[in-house]
Amino acid sequence: MDMLLNRLKELTNNKYFQCIQCGTCGGSCPYGAYTPYTPRRMILAIRLGMVEDILNSNAQWLCTACQTCTSRCPSRIQITDGIIPALREKSLLEGKVPEELSTALINIMRYGNPFKESPMKRDGWAKELDFEVPTMMKKKSAEVLLLPECFGAYHRRCKQATKALAKVMKILEVDFAILGREERCTGDHVRLCGEFALFEDLMEKNMKVFRKYEFKYIVTHDAHAFNALKNFYGLNVLHHSQFLHDNLEKLKGMFNELDYTVTYHDSCYLGRKNGIYEEPREVIRSIPGVRFVEFKRNRENALCCGAGGGGIWLDSVMREFVKVRPAEDRVREAKEVGADVIVTGCVLDIPMFEDALKVTGLDGEIVVKDIAELVLEALEGG
Amino acid sequence: MILVFGEEFERDVTYELVALAKRLGDYKVVVSEDFDDIDGDVIRVERLNWKVVKELHDRFKPEGVLFANAPSGMDLAPKLAGITGIPMVTNVIKLENGDRFKATSLTYGGKVLVDLEVDKPSIFVVNRGYYDPNEGRGTPKVERLDLDFEDDVELIEVVKPEEDVDISKAEVVVSVGRGIGDESNIELAKELAELLNGVVAGSRPIIDQGWLPKSRQVGRSGKTVTGKVYIALGISGATEHVEGVKAKNVIAVNTDRDAPIFRIAKVGVVADVNELLPVLIEKLREIKS
Amino acid sequence: MRIGAIVRIVPDLVMGIEIEESEIVPFKYVPNERDEHALEEAVVFKEKTGGNLEVVGIVDDELRDDEAMEEALALAYAKGADSLKKIVLNRRTFDRREVARAIADHFKDYDVVMVGIQSIDSFAGYLGGILSGVLGYSYVGGVVGVDYDGGLIVQKELGGGVVGKFRVKTPAILGVVSAERPITFVPLVKLRQAMKEMKVEEIEVEVPDMGGIEVVRFYEPEKPEITLLEGDVEELADKLVEVFKSLSLV
Repeated sequence: MDMLLNRLKELTNNKYFQCIQCGTCGGSCPYGAYTPYTPRRMILAIRLGMVEDILNSNAQWLCTACQTCTSRCPSRIQITDGIIPALREKSLLEGKVPEELSTALINIMRYGNPFKESPMKRDGWAKELDFEVPTMMKKKSAEVLLLPECFGAYHRRCKQATKALAKVMKILEVDFAILGREERCTGDHVRLCGEFALFEDLMEKNMKVFRKYEFKYIVTHDAHAFNALKNFYGLNVLHHSQFLHDNLEKLKGMFNELDYTVTYHDSCYLGRKNGIYEEPREVIRSIPGVRFVEFKRNRENALCCGAGGGGIWLDSVMREFVKVRPAEDRVREAKEVGADVIVTGCVLDIPMFEDALKVTGLDGEIVVKDIAELVLEALEGG
Repeated sequence: MILVFGEEFERDVTYELVALAKRLGDYKVVVSEDFDDIDGDVIRVERLNWKVVKELHDRFKPEGVLFANAPSGMDLAPKLAGITGIPMVTNVIKLENGDRFKATSLTYGGKVLVDLEVDKPSIFVVNRGYYDPNEGRGTPKVERLDLDFEDDVELIEVVKPEEDVDISKAEVVVSVGRGIGDESNIELAKELAELLNGVVAGSRPIIDQGWLPKSRQVGRSGKTVTGKVYIALGISGATEHVEGVKAKNVIAVNTDRDAPIFRIAKVGVVADVNELLPVLIEKLREIKS
Repeated sequence: MRIGAIVRIVPDLVMGIEIEESEIVPFKYVPNERDEHALEEAVVFKEKTGGNLEVVGIVDDELRDDEAMEEALALAYAKGADSLKKIVLNRRTFDRREVARAIADHFKDYDVVMVGIQSIDSFAGYLGGILSGVLGYSYVGGVVGVDYDGGLIVQKELGGGVVGKFRVKTPAILGVVSAERPITFVPLVKLRQAMKEMKVEEIEVEVPDMGGIEVVRFYEPEKPEITLLEGDVEELADKLVEVFKSLSLV
């Protein structure tokens, strides 16, 4: 219990007890209507010494780390980065971990990725390209370090986005390289799941590799990697939407017309967490022929895809409480505003929304594209 | 002489052992249940436990003993090896007789074969699916032996899964593995199964997840499919799984072209099941209508 | 109740292996997965019976300090093992009869020993079953659950989704295929703490030479004749439809 309180103090800058019990958090939460413990009730229960009740209810796992509650909290309490991970840490230490998450964490600890894939195959996506993507090990220095992160490196669908981004970089004649086999999980989900020691261990190992090479900045299309590298590793990192935006003048001259009605999904760790709203929109709008429509819930009010903070490995826990996944609601919203393409800024969004399209039967009507995929399509002529 | 111990819980594999034993020389088959079409000398005992195995081994002094890589064989074989100290080879997929036995074992999760020479007498635990069970069928000459030893292990209850279709006898089985990604995609597999007049099944992870009932599990700890076609969707093909696949034609779909499932497939499709299925289903629907 | 559990390390197939004619060269080792299940089941059984759990690592001399063995023992300690031993085999052997005889003397003080039903690198025997033969203990493999009602009740998979309940006399060795609950994750902070705190009694044993099995060669299975279809999804679907037609499925 002392450990939990210390962790809470540390992660919330001692603010967790300043909760005024207003209930904004629960009202904002995508799972608020289903969870036995909204953040407000969690804080109350902690005050009353009823932590075990929270943990036994599994409410600590019913959180996609979407940051909506935190961004709206009038007392500015770090709920997403503080209260939830602190409670999860206690669950981990007590050995009560949902099975899928447990497997993912074991794999990350052993192999540096959640898929039980060999680290030697981390550059497998690059070998599927018809040009060579240089590794830092060979090149030693490059202007841009492209970091695909685990999903972007191994996941069948997410790899497509990584390849698209690499192709765009090649077209832009950017001097870029990858870490390949030397790359490992950056650990943002690990941290949000309360596995702090593993997060620090990953950070330490990654920093060792980063320090070996010279690069001006990192570019990643994984919003969680972006968040970790920016706010925890303290590195110079651009989200790929920023990178594309920086190169927009050059790109504009090369764009072909596309005939799409596009809506843009604000990923939690770009938008609410890191305030990146306009760059991706400007990139999309600058493609000729594209009709841009907004989700009704957009920018800081955007609904989460459900994958964050380990959510992608907590599906069975979530399903105990909730019938409809947030991603399913989200793709229906896209349909409502008449979009035929959902453009995303985080690789995790892609499988979440594609699954949701299948479940909702919208898979014939709407497709999901990473912003790099859309840009590449415009460059290659639709 | 070769002594074959029939498999108590999975009878059909006994015929495969007999088929192998026939190629090795004279043989006797020990069973604890009625088999009326095993070819050759059959010894019928009341029950099969390690004491009976030990007694018959001592009595016949065989040059080789065969067990199945199945629930009862996997218990009795090592016990006998431990007691007698004679050599034992597991996961045998090929066995020849000579001055010594020449055995081939499939190991390292199906990634490695090892050729071995083994002194006599010795014990072999044989994998399923490598010898034709029909070669083991014929007319038995049955001798009853009244060997009834108490064992230190006693079966007190058999818990059967709830009634469901028997995938082991279905002609067409559409089977899904982890590569299916999401539970919702099971519906697609079910639809494909329906279009092909088959049934849906899954690999262990799918059953562990609770996405399909236990009765639909294919593999060592599940059922062995023996029908005409087995369609493996997003199944990597771990040894434990492949052991349960004895369908005449295997069609596998997997994103990884090195997936072990392709080793047993007649037709392999390198594709993401989740991309392929909707298109395939659409085409089949068109043909049907 | 004196409970023992055996943990071993095996080549990590995720990291890959090199197949040479005379040997298999691993890049890395990893705790044997079935043994991890055996350990988990042993922990469950300790919780059920309030017994004492001793976890025994078995490792070749050349790998005695391998980090996978350290990890396996630390995981056991973190999960609640009361004591730890490491039996070091003075030479490497693939023959489980030799291993069983080498270690048998050190398994005489348990009521129940849980061990993975097999390890991925095995082709010459199952350690648990052979050990039971050497010691004269009961043995059941394919174990998916263990209960205690004054005596041992073991659930064993019989195939086809059927589970048999067996009453088993002690002392017994149980070959575990799958623990009744998922493998618990041990957070890094607990793992590190375990590595610092755990005391491991090391025992060196001599492996007898029993002979009888000679490796001729290791090699990769040939890939059988297979029609491998690649291309875009539309094309693949068309080709599959043709395959279905040839099998008169449609």
